[in-house]
Amino acid sequence: MTPVWLVLMLATGISWWLATGAYSSAHDSRRLATTGVLVIALIKGRLIIRTFMEVDRAPRALRFATDAWLLALGTALLTLYL
Amino acid sequence: MSSRAAIERKPSARIPGETGLWVLVLGDLTVFALFFSAFAFYRSRDVELYQASQATLNRHYGVANTLLLLTGSWLVALALESARNRLPSRAARLLVLAIGCGSAFAVVKYCEYGEKVRAGIGPATNDFFMYYFVLTGIHFLHVLVGLGLLCWAFVRLRGSAAGAEPRLVLLECSGIYWHMVDLLWIVLFPLLYLLR
Repeated sequence: MTPVWLVLMLATGISWWLATGAYSSAHDSRRLATTGVLVIALIKGRLIIRTFMEVDRAPRALRFATDAWLLALGTALLTLYL
Repeated sequence: MSSRAAIERKPSARIPGETGLWVLVLGDLTVFALFFSAFAFYRSRDVELYQASQATLNRHYGVANTLLLLTGSWLVALALESARNRLPSRAARLLVLAIGCGSAFAVVKYCEYGEKVRAGIGPATNDFFMYYFVLTGIHFLHVLVGLGLLCWAFVRLRGSAAGAEPRLVLLECSGIYWHMVDLLWIVLFPLLYLLR
């Protein structure tokens, strides 16, 4: 559990860096930073679901449902933000 | 990490907590996904207003609350591990720390709301702040419910003797609910505070 927590804290730091430091006025770098922040949020979400919520040991239906939620949300947000 | 997960994996898959709880969790996640998408949709139609409003938020509050919820989730997961290893008093101590993290989140949020209200900003200010107050408000209610569940699990843990077979369902369920609160914030935080 502790390595997962460390990865989550580190990922939050990277998001912070991307959002405060890496955004520049250049269009491409904005897209890159936005994509990075959103993808990191989805990875963090999946880590929480799979390890803390113990879905990695759950029946396939629950693993599928939670992945489908992440995929649908990620697609919607990336489409609307980029 | 993956090899360790493979070793720890039980031979038969089981639903963590209770099936009924997962109906609630998946329903809640779906509703929030629709809220998040609606926010992103209306933002895409008026990016300048959303960016200008977002710039007035204090990102330090947002990141502090993210770290508090992540740490709280970790502590709850450790508490469950301890309870399974028949160490209820250690589990109870970890739960107290987790409840502390959740309470600190509530205090930070309270300060943040206070600053906004004193500056004359409310849900009626504009579309961004309508979403800001509604989304964080509903999330805040979830935090309070989650804290209530963790306190209940704590009281039950303290009642069980060391070495006894603990009844874990309540702790598992309140843990899953608490992790869901964390998960929702993980998406809410970049949408409201980070993405420009």
